[in-house]
Amino acid sequence: MEKEPRPEKKHASLSGANKKENRQLNLMTLPTVIWYALFCYLPLFGIFFAFKNFTPVPGDSLVENLFVNSEWVGLQNFSYLFRNPQSVSVITNTLIYNAVFLVTGIVIPVTLAILLSEVHQKKFQGFVQMSLVLPYFISWVIVGYCVYGFLSTDTGLFNSVIKYFGGDPVQWYQSPQYWRTILIVLGIWKSTGYTLIIYLCSITTIDRTLYESAALDGAGFFQRVRYITLPHLRPTIATLFILGIGSLLNSDFGLFYQVPMDSGALTEVTQTLDVYVYKSLMVNANFSYSAAAAFLQSFVGCILLVISNMVIRRLDRDSALL
Amino acid sequence: MRIFKRIALLALAAALSLTAFSGCGDSENYGRDVIRLRWVTFSNSVPPDVKEVVKKANEYSAEKIGVVVDLEFQPSEMINLIMASGEYYDIIFTCSWLNNYNIAASRGMFYDITDIVQTASPELYKVIGEYWDAAELNGRYYGVPTLKDMGAEMMFRLNSTYYEEQKGMTIPESMKFEEIEPFLEVYKKDNPTKYPLAMDKSGIAGMTNFLEKIVGDYIVIPYEAETPEVMPIWENEEFMKRVRLLHKWYQLGYINPDAAAMENSAVAKDTPVRAGVAWRGYTGYSDPANWGFNVKLSLYDGPFISKSTEQGGMFAISAGCDQKHAEASLKYLELLNTDRTFRDILGYGIEGKHFKYLPNGTVMKTEEGSSGYQPSLFTTGPVTNASVLSISEDYLSDPDLWPKVFAGYKEYGIWSKAHGFIYDTKRKEDIVATLSAIWLNYYTDLITGTSDPDTVIPKMKSEMEKAGLNELMDDVKSELANHLAKYN
Repeated sequence: MEKEPRPEKKHASLSGANKKENRQLNLMTLPTVIWYALFCYLPLFGIFFAFKNFTPVPGDSLVENLFVNSEWVGLQNFSYLFRNPQSVSVITNTLIYNAVFLVTGIVIPVTLAILLSEVHQKKFQGFVQMSLVLPYFISWVIVGYCVYGFLSTDTGLFNSVIKYFGGDPVQWYQSPQYWRTILIVLGIWKSTGYTLIIYLCSITTIDRTLYESAALDGAGFFQRVRYITLPHLRPTIATLFILGIGSLLNSDFGLFYQVPMDSGALTEVTQTLDVYVYKSLMVNANFSYSAAAAFLQSFVGCILLVISNMVIRRLDRDSALL
Repeated sequence: MRIFKRIALLALAAALSLTAFSGCGDSENYGRDVIRLRWVTFSNSVPPDVKEVVKKANEYSAEKIGVVVDLEFQPSEMINLIMASGEYYDIIFTCSWLNNYNIAASRGMFYDITDIVQTASPELYKVIGEYWDAAELNGRYYGVPTLKDMGAEMMFRLNSTYYEEQKGMTIPESMKFEEIEPFLEVYKKDNPTKYPLAMDKSGIAGMTNFLEKIVGDYIVIPYEAETPEVMPIWENEEFMKRVRLLHKWYQLGYINPDAAAMENSAVAKDTPVRAGVAWRGYTGYSDPANWGFNVKLSLYDGPFISKSTEQGGMFAISAGCDQKHAEASLKYLELLNTDRTFRDILGYGIEGKHFKYLPNGTVMKTEEGSSGYQPSLFTTGPVTNASVLSISEDYLSDPDLWPKVFAGYKEYGIWSKAHGFIYDTKRKEDIVATLSAIWLNYYTDLITGTSDPDTVIPKMKSEMEKAGLNELMDDVKSELANHLAKYN
């Protein structure tokens, strides 16, 4: 494999105009920098919650309560996450769903984006795009009730159809075997449109003349996709993939808690880490425990993100994030 | 380095400390200097007209005692959060089932009012009387019990138009839990597509109240035992009998098939059998105009009285308060407990707009009151000092209901023998957190009859045992023994 030469670093001083432009650009990033500093970096001291037994004294400030009034407990706050005999299934559930969403979250939107970019009727394209994005804006609570309309045992649409054809009605909310599929379909249904837009945008930035000359050379549709579109999409795919890896232990609480209506019989397939943490801490609000869970998620996510970024850099340096 | 640390801490403190409460400076509004209190109480929804009502109440209390409040209705998660984060408040709702009084008080979160309550609020001290026991912890008081129904009485609410007038059945004053079965059967026969015991995921109200809850809902002490014995709930035979019955009823189609997935109160209005937790003489379940039929109550459990039921509602003052605010809080609670006019404002709203007084001394809500200001009565002060609510002008309540209810507790109450035993879950918090998650996975299916207890409970039990149930049980048992030793 041929290695590209690294671009040489330029040490030449910037011209006056350039400097001014830089200053303007820097100024424009200021709001974002401040936002990140306030809401992402400043609250980082909250990590201490995960390693302390947080016992506030009424009237003292939060900082005093955290640093002075609370004692260190090491890793004690993490133990409830692993005490449960269901912990293994909780973690595997989280990982399996995320892995599926990671793959389908690339394959489906990319395929749709490519197909959609081939549609030349603008109105139709816009219509399809709109209807795919729409679910993204519907809250899970509402989706949950819509799903109930389909799956309700006595009045649901599915069971009405089953009964019409002489079958036995299914107790959907008591039958875990269907729910992996239901949840995955819903997850895809809700998120596809949003990612689709990102890919569609990248496709529109590809120089159209490439396709024209390829077509002149006799390249068919699949060849154009294989040799032009996909290579151009690679950096976008890599970016979204790396970001997805970073939240491998997180899960969409709405999807896994609201949509199955918290039905106990479905627990084995619906209980992800976030759902488990919510259920454990319903009885006692314990800041330290929830901070421990969040810390674990971010910590594992961060490591996975760095590793996957390294791997991708090995494979294709231009597609990596850092 | 140290200086840097200190500066960093200070900067953090400045950036993060919650905005302080305002102490005074309301003189221009009320014509005199008043003390303003932050009063946090419990409600799942905020009444739309709360501002207007509190303004009216503040005018009244500013004139009488020079204290006004910012009343906040907060859901249980928020109250837990306010407590867990050490946020400032003056008065907060606490009880045995939310923001646990005994635990918070034993951790020093609440103001010790023992020494000031008699001087700052002598009338309040007199009114609460023997029920101060509910607030007693190691000989000190850290909160003010709310006088309301002090024991749990569980009842079925039956459609008497259907059962008694059409079917010629008799609804007894009280019945055993299982004796509801023939009523369910009759209705199901007449209406095969309907569910006589339709319910949501919260199950039959109060069905497990015959057990004193010690940890979550799953470690309990039965009331009837002579010597209090702590056990996992499935070792109680009455509980097992009930969940088995429920499962049978579920299979017979008496209970709606998706009960375990249904959120609160989505049950059809014509359901002929419902359950409720109230007290003898309560009329709130029975308005024929609301239901479209006559409702008759039949008691199936209780009244059970323990320290925990007596702590069904309380108000405590933050340990972060200075004495001035603590005394003002007590004065305010005193006014709520002694001045009926004032109590009715916070309980029912503005007279003429939200409610009106009926000739027999009870009150009736107006339409505007039912939509604009409808907090549960016990969340805004003592229930006994408020006027009794009548459902309609034709369906009047007894205005002197409460002395009778309280006399009833003495006469036929089933009193706990556990001497107010409370287990501090902080002792085994990680086990409790784990067990709670496991319990929640099975609980709704059990109490709605959806799952078969004889297959589910062994499974749940073994999971709980793996998660440390036995260790927790041992600790609870030894704590109980220690506690009981004090009384022998």
